[in-house]
Amino acid sequence: MSQQNSDPTIYDGLMFVSLGAVIIGIVFLVLSLNGYGWSSGG
Amino acid sequence: MNNVVGKILIVLQLVFSLCFMCFAGAAYTFHEGWKNRATTAEDKLKNTNLQLTEAQTARQQLEEKLTADVKTQTERAVMAEAKVTGLDTSLAQALGNLANAEQQRDKHLADLAIAQQEAQARISETTDARSENLRLNDRVVDGISVRRTLEDQVLELQGQNNEAVRREQANIEKLERLRGVLSKNNIDWEEALKGPVLPVSEKVNGVVRAARKNESRSAELVEISVGSDDGISKSMRLTIYRGAKYVCQIEVTEVYPDVAVGRVIEETRNGTIERGDNVTTKL
Repeated sequence: MSQQNSDPTIYDGLMFVSLGAVIIGIVFLVLSLNGYGWSSGG
Repeated sequence: MNNVVGKILIVLQLVFSLCFMCFAGAAYTFHEGWKNRATTAEDKLKNTNLQLTEAQTARQQLEEKLTADVKTQTERAVMAEAKVTGLDTSLAQALGNLANAEQQRDKHLADLAIAQQEAQARISETTDARSENLRLNDRVVDGISVRRTLEDQVLELQGQNNEAVRREQANIEKLERLRGVLSKNNIDWEEALKGPVLPVSEKVNGVVRAARKNESRSAELVEISVGSDDGISKSMRLTIYRGAKYVCQIEVTEVYPDVAVGRVIEETRNGTIERGDNVTTKL
């Protein structure tokens, strides 16, 4: 249990940074697709 | 060990996530340019397609036109070929005719050369004949001149002869008459007799009323306007003149009171006698 309450490490931060980078990349791709008439509704 | 693999995976996930983000950002950053280029390319493609369509249409029309032209030109070519064939035939025939004409021309030239030679010979003959003709003409003219001279001489001699015969006859008649008279008067006819001397008449002037040949046309008789009343007697010689021209002399053969007839003495003739000429006993 004590292990579950351990402090977050640098790798946890890297995980969040990766998540953010993926989200930002997805946003860029959506914006790019909108320029060609793409809609999320299919 | 698991902890090391998990860390490595986390680092790889971070790296790929960053790469994805960079790629997406780059795509978002440059997609406007690509879009414009794509739109431009699409417009160009549409224009190109449109031009291609128009070009195809024009090409089709041109093909149809060219096909029609080719057909027309083919027909014309066929007709021209037929004409050329006909012309070839005509040319061959014309060449044949030309060859025949040349043969005839050569023949005619040969005939012409012969004819020229003959003509030259005829010209020479004609020239010779003309010279001969001129020479004969000169001889004819000379002959005619001689003949006229001889005819004149013959006429003159005939006149003289006729005059001599007439005189002889008249003398014979006179002699016979005188013989008769002498015999009636018992006179020897061989005695010399002297005839009466005609009185010398004064100058008598008259005019010629008529002049004509006698029946035998051997002498010309002249009727004058003076007679025995004017002192004209037989055997008298009168002179006929016209103005200042002497014409001839006549010897009176018949005498009437106011008219006389005389015979022209041909030896004295100097021209023709005309009505109205003057006649006189003395010039």
